[in-house]
Amino acid sequence: MEVTLLIQATDDSFRILEDAREQAEGLLTTAVKITSETRQIEEQKIQTILKGARETKSGFQNFIATFFILIVFWAMLSGKFDVFHLSLGVICSVLIAYLTHDLLFANARVGDMRVIVQRFIVYIPWLLYQIILSNFHVAYLALSPKMPIDPKIMRFDTKLESDISWVTLANSITLTPGTITMDIREGEFFIHALSKKVADDLDTGEMEDRVAHVFMEADHIYVQDVLDVARIYGALRKNV
Amino acid sequence: MIRQSDDIIIGTVARMLVPFIQLFALYVIMHGHYSPGGGFQGGVILGASLVLLLITHGLPETKKLLSEKGVAILSSLGLLIYSGIGLLCLILLGNYLDYSQLSKILQVAPNEARSLGILGIETGVGLTVMAVMFSIFIDISTGGVLPEDEEE
Amino acid sequence: MNQFFLGAGIGISFLVLLVLYRVVFGPGVYNRIAAISAIGTKSLIILLIMGFIFHRVDMFVDISMVYALLNFIGCVAVAKYLEMES
Repeated sequence: MEVTLLIQATDDSFRILEDAREQAEGLLTTAVKITSETRQIEEQKIQTILKGARETKSGFQNFIATFFILIVFWAMLSGKFDVFHLSLGVICSVLIAYLTHDLLFANARVGDMRVIVQRFIVYIPWLLYQIILSNFHVAYLALSPKMPIDPKIMRFDTKLESDISWVTLANSITLTPGTITMDIREGEFFIHALSKKVADDLDTGEMEDRVAHVFMEADHIYVQDVLDVARIYGALRKNV
Repeated sequence: MIRQSDDIIIGTVARMLVPFIQLFALYVIMHGHYSPGGGFQGGVILGASLVLLLITHGLPETKKLLSEKGVAILSSLGLLIYSGIGLLCLILLGNYLDYSQLSKILQVAPNEARSLGILGIETGVGLTVMAVMFSIFIDISTGGVLPEDEEE
Repeated sequence: MNQFFLGAGIGISFLVLLVLYRVVFGPGVYNRIAAISAIGTKSLIILLIMGFIFHRVDMFVDISMVYALLNFIGCVAVAKYLEMES
């Protein structure tokens, strides 16, 4: 009879141990779930802070900048500067700037807009000079009797990072006679060039370097970017 | 940030041009009595700017700027402005669309009241023309199938 | 001054006639689109020259801007349509 009692006691202790093991497993899975949820919530908080920083910096500034550009455009179009027409212009510009202020400027990265505009204004005369030089070369090619052209399609990778610098580079290449941008596919430019001299001019990469200097990208990062990033980093550290 | 699609150049350029096109359209409406223009021409240019946004960016992006409910409201609003000004002149003991009666409310000389009255109805005409052109283009391009019908 | 503008206008119209050859005989539709776009830019210039001849430049500048806009939008629309078809 003591043997049966012994066997019953071992069975009971086995069962208790099994229950304890199951309870421990359940506690472990709940603990893992809770930590992963907290990590998700923290990541979402970081994302909202980043997006908010980008938008608060850019939303109101976009509106004011669009409003000024539209007012100047209206004054250029309409030659009358009396109070009635100017007030009409102000009302129309406010309405359109309010509706479309996120269309004109794509603030894809933090950076100082005024510096970019200044550098863009300096970039335009250099571009015009290149256009005049290429015009002479292409006119010589087209008017000579045997027309020594050698058309080919070249592709190259680019070191620029944002939408608007790609578009600026593509438009500058198309404006220069002799080269046309055909497509931009997955970060590679497909360019049709008319002769070997024009293709060599493009291969040196001077235009791409100048566009990177205008938009403060690639190896042309400056102090203002670091200051902007520091502010966002401080906000992140405070909340997380 | 960067879209991996084929129409990145035309999309960015069209997006930057749309505010200028719309401002030019409003300039054409407001200067209807000095230079070529007026209500209908300005409305067509406004509609053309929305069509440009539609063909380069697709329908969901353009709906952020002007939804279909907004189109319905705007087309009726333009007509309301037009007939509302006419009725206002009728209430003030004149003929229908006799703008000189507006000088009783606005306290200006009758010929200036006529000029302001015409400006008002040109605005109404422009709004209606823009809304109707955009709505016709949406109907033709989607084949008349609304998104809630497609989901079923 | 009028003679100079008149001569320039006739010269540019002659260039338009040259490009018209491509519109009529161009094999395929892509040649025709590119030629119509080129004719659009030339007719802008002809409108402005007409403005100088009639001594009312400000009026014709408005008309030319509208035509440039519609030329651009038309070209983009036709290109999108052809891309979607193929």
